Amino acid sequence: MLTYQFKDNLIYKLHPLTSIIFVGVVFVLALIFSHPAYLLGLLISVWVVLGAAGNLKEGQSYIKFSLIMVLMIVLINVLFARAGTTIIYRGVDIPLIGALEISLEAIAYGLGMSLRLLVIISVFCLYTYTVNPDKALHLGGRLGGKSVLAITLSLRLFPLMIKDFQRISEIQRCRGVKLSTGSLWQRAKKTLPIISIILLSSLERSLQLAESMQARGYGSGPRSTYDRDLWRPRDYLIIALSIMALFLGICSAIKGWSAYRYYPILEEISGLDWILASFIAMILLLPAILNWGGKKWPL
Amino acid sequence: MAAIKIQDLSYYYPETIKPALNRINLEIPEGQLLIVIGDSGSGKSTLLRVVSGLAPTFYNGNLHGKVFLHGEDTVKMSRQEMVQKVGIVFQNPESQLVMNNVEQEIVFGLENLGLPGNLMKRRVMEMSSSLGLSGDLVKGVAELSGGQKQKVALAGVLAMQPGIILLDEPTSQLDPVAAEELLNIIRRLNEDNGITVVMIEQRLERCCHLADRILIMENGVIAADINTGSRGGRMWMPRAPLAYLPPLPNLFARAGFQELPITVKQGRQMLNSLMAASDSASKPGQDTPPVIGPVKGQELIDIQNLWFSYPDKEEVIKNLNLIIREGDFIALLGENGAGKTTLLKHINGLLKPCRGQVKLAGQDSKDLAIEEIAASVAYLSQDPNDYLFMPSVKDEILFTLKNFNLDDETYAEEIMKRFKLEAYRHGNPRDLSTGERQRVALAAVLVSKPRLLILDEPTRGLDYGLKKELGELLQEINGQGTAVVMVTHDVDFAAEYAQDICLMFQGQIIERGSKYEVLQHSTYYTPQLGKLFNNIVDNVITMDRGVRVLLELAGPIKSELASVL
Repeated sequence: MLTYQFKDNLIYKLHPLTSIIFVGVVFVLALIFSHPAYLLGLLISVWVVLGAAGNLKEGQSYIKFSLIMVLMIVLINVLFARAGTTIIYRGVDIPLIGALEISLEAIAYGLGMSLRLLVIISVFCLYTYTVNPDKALHLGGRLGGKSVLAITLSLRLFPLMIKDFQRISEIQRCRGVKLSTGSLWQRAKKTLPIISIILLSSLERSLQLAESMQARGYGSGPRSTYDRDLWRPRDYLIIALSIMALFLGICSAIKGWSAYRYYPILEEISGLDWILASFIAMILLLPAILNWGGKKWPL
Repeated sequence: MAAIKIQDLSYYYPETIKPALNRINLEIPEGQLLIVIGDSGSGKSTLLRVVSGLAPTFYNGNLHGKVFLHGEDTVKMSRQEMVQKVGIVFQNPESQLVMNNVEQEIVFGLENLGLPGNLMKRRVMEMSSSLGLSGDLVKGVAELSGGQKQKVALAGVLAMQPGIILLDEPTSQLDPVAAEELLNIIRRLNEDNGITVVMIEQRLERCCHLADRILIMENGVIAADINTGSRGGRMWMPRAPLAYLPPLPNLFARAGFQELPITVKQGRQMLNSLMAASDSASKPGQDTPPVIGPVKGQELIDIQNLWFSYPDKEEVIKNLNLIIREGDFIALLGENGAGKTTLLKHINGLLKPCRGQVKLAGQDSKDLAIEEIAASVAYLSQDPNDYLFMPSVKDEILFTLKNFNLDDETYAEEIMKRFKLEAYRHGNPRDLSTGERQRVALAAVLVSKPRLLILDEPTRGLDYGLKKELGELLQEINGQGTAVVMVTHDVDFAAEYAQDICLMFQGQIIERGSKYEVLQHSTYYTPQLGKLFNNIVDNVITMDRGVRVLLELAGPIKSELASVL
């Protein structure tokens, strides 16, 4: 709600359902793949699409944050995993853990898991920045009318209440309430009036809202849903290919191609693995390719 | 056939014994634009609620009598039929918009009616073109200004294509420019599409030239039903009670004239013929502007070379200088975004300067906590509801006293008496009317005996009577030594009650002077009375002076004049 900002490119103009299917497919694939080549393929696709959407900068800040987690995963895995055979460093005794043994396999496993984490974080970043939350919510509106309306209303009222809080805090301070001094308990006590003013005003506001909804016939009969989003050929194309990628991914998972064995010694990655992984990645690049093509050969 | 016909209608809110509407009979022909005025509690909002069916379906309560819309009894109509016959727009845009997005908001009612997709698209198209919202369809509601929000609310109602539109003070929360735009839209709907309009509106100067008919309500009954006459010919202001008249006709009514002008043009014609009729020797008002207000005392606030910008935004205040002295009564005028509210927040310490200095009685505001400043600078914001949370009026006032460790209950009693609040001493402030709520909030900030009172848009949502009460109260407070600074869009109010005017433009004070110097020869920032007397009689911008001048002019020739006009 606060992060979404429309940009004029193909990724932003996709039907929200298309975007959600694409993101969902990548997410599911990231969970079922453990092969680093496949995960790397996914990561590259997601980042190219992020780039096409013009959100590289936002993606970077997500990555900066997740690198700390990557470091933790690798570190913990290296310290605790004992299944690797290729020892590259053997060191001092550490209490609780025992002798420090760093194996190539443990590092690789940590990196492999991190790759999965990065794919998931990147695809969430893609979702946050390119799918209008309002529209996504509206899609859900077909499923459960009243609860979605309740969420919509709270999303609308939430920023209002934050503004109320700021404004009323200022007013209270101007009435001599020392909000920033005193013990935690005292300060909590001093915010009580602010909360009660917000509650009272919200109560009045919600009554007025209910009145306005009643006046516009809410609940007077079966509702219909207004579609503001158009389905374009590219939406169908992207959905079809996303489902194809999902199908291929599931097949290769069943066949065991997209699985990978780290311990006791790293499995060799064959040329065939690279080919299949890059094929799936290529399929998922479609939104970015369409965006590029649309700019190069405009209608 | 009448668009609305009300027969012998009485309505009681739940658990009340006094009727909110008492035996009303009213017929509104199709295509009429009717304006309803009246005090709060007079039943005008209830009238709209009954016509729209909200009372009793939403409010419950007891309804006696009948309401017909285009000949059909409302009792026999389904809710879906009802909302397609009559739409209602409320006062506060913030609390009637349901969705996050403009387009979704417009179709909300259509979805409720279960209309097919194509028809909804068509209605959205028509609404957005006719109200000029095309560019805003994809926008979030939170991005819109108050005026735009109110337009969206109107669009959401109009999309259902009702033949009757009811509006409950639709412009009271808007600035004058947005209010005028909305009223223009309403006039167009009425004139071009023949939609019947019933509108509650306090400020008749904004809209009475649009009205075919004006209803005055008092205590649940229609106290007066005035036809304003043909729109094409010369129209005169109906002789409503003084409390409901805008400044211009009010002036002529007070001076005893029988015919009251609506527009400045009419007023000037009358004035010019008066001037011509009176002999030159007795022409009044050519003297110097009167000296106003108490003697100025010491400096309270000294703002030097103030610059301010919010983080990552453009500068809002640019190199501003201002001195406020004891006894000052200053009105800050200027358009939206000129920096008026930001300046106020520097005076009460809520904001600290980026560059420059704000000195309070010699001390730099940077060295003072907001709470320390609060003891000498009282602040009243736009919405009195932001103050009220205590169970009784007295507690509300004592709350401020306790914060400043003052325990002067006798003064609390005195201030309640002065603000005419003793009767509600033990009542819940939230149960009071708008004007009374504002008086409680004002009492609650003034009880600490501040040296300076600052107000942000104090006249928003007030009718003429309440404005007069507020203005006189502020003058009284000012007369007792408290300096007053108010931000307002209401030029008439500023001209009537303030002493000095500061005009703000793009973050700077471009002029400061007595109201006679600043307001008299301006074209936009001048009250109606200023426009009336401009270049005819000097130094007349307040009601008292205006009445005196008129009486002086008309006195000797009044009988003669009456026959001419």
